[in-house]
Amino acid sequence: MTDLIDRLAVIIHTLSNTLVDSPSANIVLAVALTLGAFMAGNRLFAFFRSPVWLPPVVIAACLLSLALTILKLNYGNYREGAQWLTVLLGPATVALGVPLYQQVRHIRALWRPILFTLPIAALLAAVYAVLIAAAFGASPEVIASVAPKSVTAPIAIGITEQLGGSVSLMMGGLLITGVVATVFVDLAVRWMNIQDPRIVGFALGLNGHAIGTARAFELGPTAGAFASLGMGLTGIFTALTLPFVFGTFGF
Amino acid sequence: MVMLRGFLVLSIFFLLGEAVRILFALPVSGGVIGMILLTVTLMLRGRISDSLAQASGALISVLVLLIMPGVVGVFFQADEFSGQWLAIGLALVVGTLLSVLTTLWLLQRAVRRTGQELGND
Repeated sequence: MTDLIDRLAVIIHTLSNTLVDSPSANIVLAVALTLGAFMAGNRLFAFFRSPVWLPPVVIAACLLSLALTILKLNYGNYREGAQWLTVLLGPATVALGVPLYQQVRHIRALWRPILFTLPIAALLAAVYAVLIAAAFGASPEVIASVAPKSVTAPIAIGITEQLGGSVSLMMGGLLITGVVATVFVDLAVRWMNIQDPRIVGFALGLNGHAIGTARAFELGPTAGAFASLGMGLTGIFTALTLPFVFGTFGF
Repeated sequence: MVMLRGFLVLSIFFLLGEAVRILFALPVSGGVIGMILLTVTLMLRGRISDSLAQASGALISVLVLLIMPGVVGVFFQADEFSGQWLAIGLALVVGTLLSVLTTLWLLQRAVRRTGQELGND
């Protein structure tokens, strides 16, 4: 039995590494693996009845890394092939301007409290993380990777690259932040007895980016709209200010 | 075809954003600058074309797919950060708890002060 599994592993290994040698096959393989994991992640998420603490992206990422390990594919090779997908992040970031524009009337209705809260809360979301990481002796690279933890992924990638952090570590941090922010907002809202869906939604989007926003849409359309707003404004504000703040702190 | 026109608009705004970033040596990504330019343009026009709405909706719905290659990297590069996981974990979890409480407290105060409170919906 183990002999059979060993032989099977050798065959899979040889096959996948032959494919990698051809540049176009390497690209299609990387895209196919990512697509497959993404779709399977969504299926499993629905199958588990949409748990708050286990978003589809976590399931998909686990499946994908499992597939890469089984096929014994080199992460560098995979990443090179998958660039055909990641290059679309630029236009996808621009696309976030559309929902932002569609929420302009929400901003108009509540612009004063938002204008007061956003800069302080968005900046503190980064500063808390930076100070705690620095206090426990994290390296500058790690500090730069946790700083944009509340920013939506396409924007956070740009910030981390500017600050000299690790994009992979930042992405992992982003996932954890999104999940714990969702859980903490649920608990804190009950504890503080807050019922205004605009406040709950905004807090979910500001702290928990896309994962918090997905949760807010489950609570209702008003919470969802304010979460998108909080996510978009936090992304823009952090992208515009964090590189300058980082420079003055001298990290 | 309709969606492709929207994708062309998004690509042009991204390229504009990149051009602005390089010309002014800004520490902000071209995508973010493109997003701001697009939002401002839409606000000035006051309406949005179907093709742009479709293309942006399509791209946003597959955002997770686009970030996955970066996400899995953390599994393969974990060794680089050994010994720093406590700092990373505390920064993420405690930092997020503090920022959630800060946001809720600030926004609740500000909404009360302007007297624009809203009931349940």
